[in-house]
Amino acid sequence: MFKRNTLLMFLTLGLIALMIITVGCGAKAPAPAPAPAPAPASSPEPAKEEKPAWPQKEVEIVYHSKAGSGGDIFLRAMGKAVEPALGKAFVVNNMPGAAGATAWNYVAKAKPDGHTILGISSTLITAPLINKMPVNFMSFEPVAMMFIDPMVIFVPADSPFKTLADIVDAAKKNPGKQKWAGGTPGELGVVAGRELMKAAGFKVALVPFEGGGDAAVSVLGGHLDAGIGEYAEIASSVEAGKLRIIVAFNKMPTNQEIPTVAEEGYPDVDVRKLRGVVATKGTPPEVIDALVKVMKTAYDDPSFRKYFESNNLIPEFAAKEDFLKVMELQHEQIKASLEN
Amino acid sequence: MIFEYFMQGLDIVLNWNSLIAILFGVAWGTIGGMIPGINATIAMALLLPFTWGMDPVVALMMLSGVYCGGEYGGSIPAILIGTPGTNAAACTVLDGYELHKQGKTGLALFTSLNASVFGGIVGATALVFLAIPLANVALAFGPAEYFALAALGLTMICSLGEKNVFKGILAGFLGILVSTVGFDPFAGVPRFTFDILSLASGFEMVPLMMGLYAITEMFKQSQAVVGNDGFVLKAETNTKFPSWKETKPLVFPASWAAALGVVIGAMPGAGATAAAFISYSEAKRWSKNPDSFGKGNPIGVAVPEAANNAVTGGALVPLLALGIPGSNSTAIMLGALMIHNVAPGPLLFQKTPEIPYSIFVSLFFANFFMFFIGYLCIKFAIKMTNISKPALIAVIMALVFTGSFAYSGEIFSMGVALSFGLFGLGMRYFGLPHTATVLGFVLGFIMEANLRRALIISEGSYSGVFASSLISSLLLGLAIVSVVFSFYRGYKSSQKSGKAAAL
Repeated sequence: MFKRNTLLMFLTLGLIALMIITVGCGAKAPAPAPAPAPAPASSPEPAKEEKPAWPQKEVEIVYHSKAGSGGDIFLRAMGKAVEPALGKAFVVNNMPGAAGATAWNYVAKAKPDGHTILGISSTLITAPLINKMPVNFMSFEPVAMMFIDPMVIFVPADSPFKTLADIVDAAKKNPGKQKWAGGTPGELGVVAGRELMKAAGFKVALVPFEGGGDAAVSVLGGHLDAGIGEYAEIASSVEAGKLRIIVAFNKMPTNQEIPTVAEEGYPDVDVRKLRGVVATKGTPPEVIDALVKVMKTAYDDPSFRKYFESNNLIPEFAAKEDFLKVMELQHEQIKASLEN
Repeated sequence: MIFEYFMQGLDIVLNWNSLIAILFGVAWGTIGGMIPGINATIAMALLLPFTWGMDPVVALMMLSGVYCGGEYGGSIPAILIGTPGTNAAACTVLDGYELHKQGKTGLALFTSLNASVFGGIVGATALVFLAIPLANVALAFGPAEYFALAALGLTMICSLGEKNVFKGILAGFLGILVSTVGFDPFAGVPRFTFDILSLASGFEMVPLMMGLYAITEMFKQSQAVVGNDGFVLKAETNTKFPSWKETKPLVFPASWAAALGVVIGAMPGAGATAAAFISYSEAKRWSKNPDSFGKGNPIGVAVPEAANNAVTGGALVPLLALGIPGSNSTAIMLGALMIHNVAPGPLLFQKTPEIPYSIFVSLFFANFFMFFIGYLCIKFAIKMTNISKPALIAVIMALVFTGSFAYSGEIFSMGVALSFGLFGLGMRYFGLPHTATVLGFVLGFIMEANLRRALIISEGSYSGVFASSLISSLLLGLAIVSVVFSFYRGYKSSQKSGKAAAL
């Protein structure tokens, strides 16, 4: 009797251990923290002959959200696309926790050799502005902006508003009477809305929602006049004719017919919800250049192209200083939107 | 036409690949659900990378299997060790653990299994026939209605403090207080975080629950074990499958709960935990014998389990009918679809109806498999309670802390779990019901956020929130009646016990 119970217990513990190990691998890196430098003694003069200085081993890309999240899936898909050019494995390591600071600190303090890099979204700019964080986007070496998540203003299909001008006119007649679903303060949808209001001189009440889905459902249900958010989150409702897009903040190559704010007369409204890659400060410039080159090859991969097209991402490449400029502009925009 | 598509779906499900995927998914989900700290969402996320190479339909079937299994699995530890394996099983602890302590382990475990399978099948059926009307119900709920629903659910705290209404309210309000920690999504500033970055997004549900339930319970059990010669506790447990006579009175409440679960599941942002609690409090409210709840009433097991498994069907409604994921679990399914470049939404039914319908069919199979896997797990899990108590407590403690850590990858979470464990022990000492705290934590945030949204919409008018629609007036009216009634009952019973004391 006792023996049988013991056996059962071991069996259970074995199963549980398996699960925990899988959890551990999902949450934490298979690669341990900054590995000791490879071969310090063997070659004092770095082998310049035929072997490139980078990559010598797998490249770990850290991201601040959980496995299975949109950004995580994106990085995994991109990883597959760059692996041929990289010649090594491209490993995504999810480090959720502390509103992103865990992941960002990890990469900021990693060995600056280009083997530990950071996948970023606009959250890297927003979160440090809201919370007192020891890191922000300036703590890293910019590598490349890869994509933009297009932002749009949408209304229920039966809304009286047809164009941006309709909305602006109505809002000017009755300031603050229109209610729009948007994200939380500092989120790019809110920033975009604010920039547009400033440029066009109108005012609506923004109702914060934490997830884009909840906001879209509220607009679909007619509880709010309009919504502002990522196109990808509402694309299927638009295709089904339940929501209508008034205007986009970014030109979508797959949806050329949707007008942008620039085309509607507000060319100064420049809000780009970005996705990109940065590296640890102090990474040698030649490694950064190599990284930029590798990242650029991602667009050529046919299955990745299908992925980003069906997910309505806009490919937009901006390397190094150009990328930094985009982030700096965004930093100012978010800061201003948080101040009022 | 539905029938035709349904047969098409059946055709896809009825081959070895699909069936094995579903079976594996259910088994994986059930085991994950049984482990404190791993809920359905985490179990699904863990499996996601393995679905990349699969056919999207098979991947989706496997994930829905995990989802069903996970929602069920959580009830087993809830009953056997008083620790919910998943958030949504927290409510099952109330009566399930009580039944186990009374030796009616079999009744509790099998009732939970039957109710889960029943709820799952109701959810799947509703999904097949009522997806569009359900989506419309979800759309009818705006911020004011969500606030009203959460307020109604929260009135349950009044009745959780047994005889003392105020203890329940105090514990519930503590939960609401805890839910306010973190980023204020309206003002855009951190609240009560004291510049601790780990608190920037608030307390996570998993370590909080692990602390309040598992750690508190394990501390309490260690107190009982120390200085007690009963090292191997052999409780007289009845592990028989319940008879029809025992099951019959549960059918009606479980049917209601399943219906409620489907509707709440279809609402984005509400979730299985809220569904379990709301249906439990409704079952208690409409019961002829509300005092028996929390003291080992099998209805108290059947109702939350039927509801949280019915959510699986409901939660797929916004994903498939609107293309919008309503919960973390369905967000992962969306991820799985997106990897394969399949965009869910209304057009999915027109362009490739075999995909949604094979998912529907797979849900029925998943629930069918769940019955057998659950049966095996129960037979197996019952034996674990015969293991030496100190060993069991040690193993559970290790699991709980690992689970808390794995969830966020932060040592801080283990500290959170431990702190809430000690806090829970203190609450027990003062007779404060920790379920009320969890309820306050779950519903507090939904309530706050939606009240503030509703107030922006009504331009600051509270009466506008109350009267924004028939649904919100009705639900809020019911909430007020319920609070007044609880106070009246509390007053009556204190009068009675006052008299008894005077005698």
